[in-house]
This record gives sequence, C-alpha cells and structure tokens, in this order.
Amino acid sequence: MKSKKLRTYKYKGKNFMSKIFTAAILMMVMQFGATAQVLPNIKLSTMDGAGFQTQQLNEITGKPVVLSFWATWCIPCLNELTAINDNLDYWNKESKFEFYAISEDDSRTARRVPAVVNGKGWNFNVLLDKNQDLKRELNLMNIPYTMVIKDGKIIYRQAGYVAGNENDLYKIIKANQ
Amino acid sequence: MQFRKITIAILFLISTHARAQLTGGFESNSALYIDDAKIKLEQIEARQRLRSNNYLRLDYKLANFTAVVQVEAYEPKALLNYSPKLNKTNLGTYYVKYKNDQLRLEVTAGHFYEQFGSGLVFRTWEDRQLGIANSIAGGMVKYSPLESIHITALYGKQRNGLGFDFTDGTIGGLNTDVELSSLLKIEKVKFGIGLSYVNRNEKKQVYAGLNKNTFLTSLRGDFSAGGFTADVEYAFKSKDALVEFNTVRPDLQFDGDAYLLNLGYAKNGFGVNANFRRVENFGMYSQRKSAGNVNNEAILNYVPALTKQYDYTLTNIYVYAAQPNVSFEPNRNKAGEIGGQVGLFYQFKKETPLGGKYGTNISINYAQWHGLKGRYDAAQRKYAAEKVAFGQKYYRDASLEIRKKWNKKWSSVFTYLNQYYNARYVEEAVGEVNANTVVVDNTHRLKKSKSIRLELQHQWADGGFKNWAAAQVEFNFNSTWSLFALDLYNYGNKTVNDRIHYYNFGTSFNKGAYRVQAGYGRQRGGLICVGGVCRFVPQSVGLNLALNYSFYVAGKRRLNKRII
Repeated sequence: MKSKKLRTYKYKGKNFMSKIFTAAILMMVMQFGATAQVLPNIKLSTMDGAGFQTQQLNEITGKPVVLSFWATWCIPCLNELTAINDNLDYWNKESKFEFYAISEDDSRTARRVPAVVNGKGWNFNVLLDKNQDLKRELNLMNIPYTMVIKDGKIIYRQAGYVAGNENDLYKIIKANQ
Repeated sequence: MQFRKITIAILFLISTHARAQLTGGFESNSALYIDDAKIKLEQIEARQRLRSNNYLRLDYKLANFTAVVQVEAYEPKALLNYSPKLNKTNLGTYYVKYKNDQLRLEVTAGHFYEQFGSGLVFRTWEDRQLGIANSIAGGMVKYSPLESIHITALYGKQRNGLGFDFTDGTIGGLNTDVELSSLLKIEKVKFGIGLSYVNRNEKKQVYAGLNKNTFLTSLRGDFSAGGFTADVEYAFKSKDALVEFNTVRPDLQFDGDAYLLNLGYAKNGFGVNANFRRVENFGMYSQRKSAGNVNNEAILNYVPALTKQYDYTLTNIYVYAAQPNVSFEPNRNKAGEIGGQVGLFYQFKKETPLGGKYGTNISINYAQWHGLKGRYDAAQRKYAAEKVAFGQKYYRDASLEIRKKWNKKWSSVFTYLNQYYNARYVEEAVGEVNANTVVVDNTHRLKKSKSIRLELQHQWADGGFKNWAAAQVEFNFNSTWSLFALDLYNYGNKTVNDRIHYYNFGTSFNKGAYRVQAGYGRQRGGLICVGGVCRFVPQSVGLNLALNYSFYVAGKRRLNKRII
C-alpha cells in the first residue's frame, strides 16, 4: 500500500513540474509580438530623502529614459556607471535623453549612496529602492540591469554588464530620438 | 492543479480586459553534484544529486488592481543547505493590491514585503540566494492623509516555507513618517520624524510566566542641509525569553534596545559617511522557538552588519555578521555589539597630477565592532552591560580601493583589505584571524564590445584557512556572450589534504530579458552573506545551470489571437 502511494505522489510531482514549465514556455512564446511593458508605479526616494513616484518617468515624453539598477557593493554596476559617466558629456551633446541610476542598496548600505555618487563625481540622477519593491515588480533577478523607457513603454533591457555594453545602450538612445 | 487553475484564471482575465497586462519572471538555479577525489557530498545529501530551485512569478495588472502569484518548485529537492521547509512545488506568495494615487491609498490583501524605517524593528524581504522570503500574509493599508504624512498599518502571520504554512506568532504593526520640513513649508533644510510599533502575539505556544505579547518600538529623526545629512534612531524591545539549544526559557527574560547614528557629507568629487550603532538583545523572530535558527527562518527585523560589503571572492572569506543576540557560555558570553564604520570617497579630477587624463577614484573604509562590556554570569544566566563601553573585539577592517582608467583600452580596480576576525565570537568556532588581501582587477577592451578581464587575488592570513591565491579570466566575445575560468587555491592550509583548488569554468549568455549561465566546478564551503545575513553552504563540486527570464503579455486582442 505504502509503495503505491509513494508512486502516485512521485507521478503527481512530475506532472506538476512539467505543467509549470509548459506554462513558462507558453508565456515566453506569447511574448513575441506583444506590445511593450509599462513601468509600474512604485514609490522610490531621492538622495535627500524625498519621495519619488516612478509614474513621473512614464510621463516623460518624446525622449528615451534610461534606468540603470545598481548597488554600492556591486563591482560590475560601478564599472557600468563609471563607463556611462565618462561618456555622458558627449552623449548629452549629441542626443536628448534622461538617465536615472536606481540604487538597490538596502538599509545596510543605502546611507553610503550619496557619498559614493559624489565621491565618484557622477553627474546623473540617482534614486533609491531601499526594500527592492521596484526590482521585485519588474522581476529583475540580478543587478546590474539596464532598461530604456520611451513614452512610458519599456523598449530595451540588458541584464548584466560587460565592458562595451554602454555602446549598445547609446545606439538605442540614438535610434529613439 | 492549483497552479493550472490560477494560470487559466489569469489568462481568462487578460483575454476579457483590454487594458490589462500580465508580466512575469522565471528564475531557475540547478546543480548536479558530482563527487571527485577531494570533495564528496555527505552521505545523507548524496541520495539526491540533481537539485533545482525554481521561481515563477506572475503579475496581473488592471487599472488600480494588481494580483500577484509566485509559485516555487524545489524539485526533486532544494539546493544544498536551504531550509528543509523549501521542498517540492507549491505556492510561495500571493496577493491582491489596490493602489489609488489620487487618494494616496494602497491596500494589500495576501502576502506583502515591507520595511519600517531602517528595518531595525521590522523588515520583510526576499533574497533567493539566502532562502529568505519572510513576507507577512494578511492585510496592509498605506495611507497619506497629507502629502508629507505617511501611515502604514499591517496585520498577519509570517510565511514559513511554502503554501499555507505560517509561523506561530501573529504580527501587528503601525508606522508613521512625517516630513516635518515640507509640512512647515521649509525649503532650505529637510527634517522629519518616524515612529514604529510592532507586536508579536504568540498564543499557540503558551509558556508559563511569559507574556504572550512582545513588542518592538522605534523613534527616529533625520536632517539634511547643503550636502550634510544626519539621522538618529532609538529602538526598544520588550522583555522576551532567552532561547538556548532550541529551548525557550521563560525563567530567563531580557529586554533589549538599539541606538543608531548616521552622519554624512557629500559635495561633487567628495563624500564621507559614518555609522555608529549599539544593539543589545535585538534579534526578533515571529515565533520564539526559531530564535537564532541557522536557516534564516521567521526573521522579523533587520540588523545588518554595518561594514563595507566586498564583492571579490577572497575578500568574502572572513565576513562579519552582526551579533545582536544574548547567549551565555563560559568565556563566550554575548549580549549584543557596539561599533561603527567610516567610509570616504574621493575623486582626483582629470588633468591633475594624481588624476591623469581620465581622473582617479579612491575609497577608504574603516569598521570596528566589539561585544558589550559588562558583568556576565554564565552559570546564573545573568548579565549587566554598560551603555558606552567596548568589550571583546569581534571584527575590524580597513580597506583602500583605487579605480583607474589608464587609457581608452585599459582600466583597473586595485583593492587592499586588512581584517581582524574573531571566529570564536562571530562564528562560535575557534580562533582569531588577521588577514591581508590584495585584488587587482584589470579590464582590457579589444573592440567595441569585445573585452578581456583578468582578476588576480591573494590573501595572507595568520589563522583560519591561512593563505589563498586566486585568479579569474573572463573573455567577453560581444555584449551577450562570455566565457570565464577561475581558480581559488588554499595553498597555505595547515592540513595538506585541504589544500584544494576550487576551480570553476563556464559560460554566460545575456540578451534582453534572458540570462543563462552554465558551469562546472568546485564550490568553496562557508558562509554566503548578503547584507550581513548569511547562509552556510558545505563545499561541493558539480555542474550548475542558472536561467533567468522575464516576460510580458499584452492586452485583449493579441492574446485572443494567440490562444486560438
């Protein structure tokens, strides 16, 4: 009796798993041709502690808005933002866009954010997502993660950073003027 | 079955509402553990060598409503050393949220993640690497009667494992933040106050002589003006029983408190930040019997280690974890911790002697933590700690990081770290370690998106694992595809058999919302720490595969077509 029970359970488990994967694959297939995702409205904060609703980013029209998710302890994130900051003057001269670096530092390191940003001489907007609410709603598993929004729609995503990715990002900015 | 029903329900909802959107994310981390000559799984673990942690989250949005469900599958079994409660496939979190920005109102029914202030009295969050997903299931209301006044009230039970499994305590919480300067229409300076109250009611387990309610409360204030910031917090925990060897001791009760002070100053090219904290008996769990458990279950507040979080492998061998709890043992009595850290960031400008053509960035950090000085009586289980006095030294580190771009093709990050680590107190193991670690991380750009990265590390240590050497090479063919190989060699280990090469090689592919990483190698055993919360993993060897994907499904017309 016992072994029979066990077998049914195992079978059920397998079946359940396969359904999850089928569902996941179904979702992926359905995605093709779909219109772009809208950024959710989440309350973040600015470096001086004021609230910032991400809806404001959806309301920027006519130019791309770049969101780069980072943290003070994440070396590839710092590499990415340093590379972007080095190019920022040139990019701003040639193109119209807005840039926001969104810190995923929690309360262990969030207070270091203004010191890091100023200490590195970064010249872009910085927002804080202290309990990772935006990261969770966007289903971002790892940072660095960069996305571009235009007229409220997410038009480009890049997970991770390797040297040179900033050139791909700039191509997207230029193509969406 | 549950899952299929939910999926069908969500798809139906989308197909009937044009303005709806469905987004989701899928993450999978799998391993096939294969023993080799040096590293073997423990017999009890070796029964299941293929393991996988999978998370599928679906968000359905329509007008002001959001419905979210996360299904988790640990099949056939969870990766090594995750909580045994994370087993098989089941619902993880699920909730419905109503948000109205005009009314400044947000109502959640189901699971929610939330943090009061710095998290000292209440924080629920998700960290899949640590196996933490300590959401509260119940109800939460956030309301702002004025733009500068924010009130949160919540009530529920904490998630414990999967499905409808909750911990014993019932949690109620109330938080208020008032932006006083904007309320008073003052613009030059910003200041505000916050007040939190969290109560745990543990009715299910009755302990004679112990109050079924335990509360935490916090009062805090912040101030900023012209690049200067300061904030201060005092938190108190009402009397709670000591938990020893998984046994609740109603005869031994202690209250606790915490003091936190943060100061910062920043202007373009320069930033400094300092944190000081004293915590005494301040760990909080949603059920008493879970106090101090190794699986990070039932955690209700966040007492992070206030030290710099390093990102290189050898800088993460001796990681400090905050010590907020009371424990008695002859020559190892603990009641909390006291200490602080200072971080400094500076940029040498372009075209200056130290800045060169591209500028140079430096950061310096110093952190030191001690136990609370006082009188301890391990036999009687009594103590009296002084308010401002440093006891046994637990940890100290000093580090220097220099970031330099040499020319258009070469850039480097140089890190030096000096540490003192008191394993006897921090890990409740033996010994003390003084370690010096050097890391040189070089990136060479070959073409537009083609690059090579070489990381060299060395650690000199007088105790613990003794000396290590490590090297990593990463070749990025283009912006999407990379190959990597690394080796950590514990050549200084006193035990010849433990002088192991922990090598790893693999490849990763990143495109748009997809990420795939596959590799083979040896994983060093030890603590994996994120934000000062740690999970212990045993050493292992094998194949591993990680998949990430996030997706989006549009409204009515397109979806109907696709279903047909």
